[in-house]
Amino acid sequence: MTPDALFQIANPLALLGWLALLASPLAPRAAHAVAGAAIPLLLSLAYAGLVLAFWWQAPGGFGSLPEVMRLFTHPQIALAGWLHYLAFDLFLGAWEVRTARAEGIPHWALVPCLVLTFLFGPAGLLAFAILRFTLVRKVLP
Amino acid sequence: MTATLTAPRLAVLSRPDPLLLRLTWFVALTALPLMVASGLDGRLFQGDDIWLKPLKFHLALVVYTGTLALFGMLLPAGSLASRRWRLYLGLVTACTLAELLWIDGAAALGTASHFNTTGFGSALYPLMGLAAVILTSLSLAMGLLFWRERQDALHLSIALGLILTFVLTVPAAGTLANNPGHLVGTPVTGARFPFFGWSAEVGDLRLPHFLATHAMHAVPLAGLTGNRTAVWATAAGFTALVGWCLVRALQGLPPF
Repeated sequence: MTPDALFQIANPLALLGWLALLASPLAPRAAHAVAGAAIPLLLSLAYAGLVLAFWWQAPGGFGSLPEVMRLFTHPQIALAGWLHYLAFDLFLGAWEVRTARAEGIPHWALVPCLVLTFLFGPAGLLAFAILRFTLVRKVLP
Repeated sequence: MTATLTAPRLAVLSRPDPLLLRLTWFVALTALPLMVASGLDGRLFQGDDIWLKPLKFHLALVVYTGTLALFGMLLPAGSLASRRWRLYLGLVTACTLAELLWIDGAAALGTASHFNTTGFGSALYPLMGLAAVILTSLSLAMGLLFWRERQDALHLSIALGLILTFVLTVPAAGTLANNPGHLVGTPVTGARFPFFGWSAEVGDLRLPHFLATHAMHAVPLAGLTGNRTAVWATAAGFTALVGWCLVRALQGLPPF
């Protein structure tokens, strides 16, 4: 399978998970199974396969910014990096939904955090941490 | 001696050993990313998909530890519960995981695992041989537990199968490991057994290793008849078969 084909499958898959999280008040358990386990694990499986198959020929490294930039010039490794974003952001989104439910944070207040987590991962985490501290005075997971 | 037919004692006496069961699950599930890698990777090693060998080893070890876990259920509860057994099973688990890490890692890096003669890989090779003997010794150790219950034909057959797995695998695999590669003889044009991939034209030392290791499956089939003579005859016949295939392979010939 070409990296492009895998990319074309992975994006809608992740999007499906985010839609499940947005709709999670309707079916919390199903949303959690899909967005908190099934889809992130599928993406992780693809990621692991890519790293096993292509890491040996990856250019660059982790030691400096130019090295990291060179790493992402390799199509399969760049795809792995993208899957990393998709999988971890979605997993984090599912955690936000779960935590908000458990702590009584209303879903409508969570939605902007989910959108931010989807688009800009860590900014969404920060937004959720601020919202959570404001409403329930909690920071630790 | 009269051959009497009695129903074999297929009574489940204990739950599967938790460590063996977990090891079986773990080895099976960690094959999943290797399958994905196999689908994405275009690299070949000696003409095969580079991930074929790791996948074969995962499959083989799932069958091995899974069979041992199932056989263990026919032993009296607590047979593997002593402190010595727990330590030993921990060691076998560690050796199994080390073996897989070595084989999977070599594929990821694109080098040879077995028969590696360069650098770090060649230093590891004998060490992994030791780990392989330790993990195979579990069949002997469990075979000796079944030997105590040998008054039952099925238990006798499992005892003989397990003991033969160790006794036959060590020389068969040892011969294979000390050969420069798995093939003996020329010319190699690529004629192979379907699925298993053994050479059908020259000696292939992987075949006797495969048969030797599956004594634990072949001999207990005879035990299901409940006939002790059939069990002993199968054990003897299977040993002869492994010997035949090993000698033929060493002569550079296919088994038949």
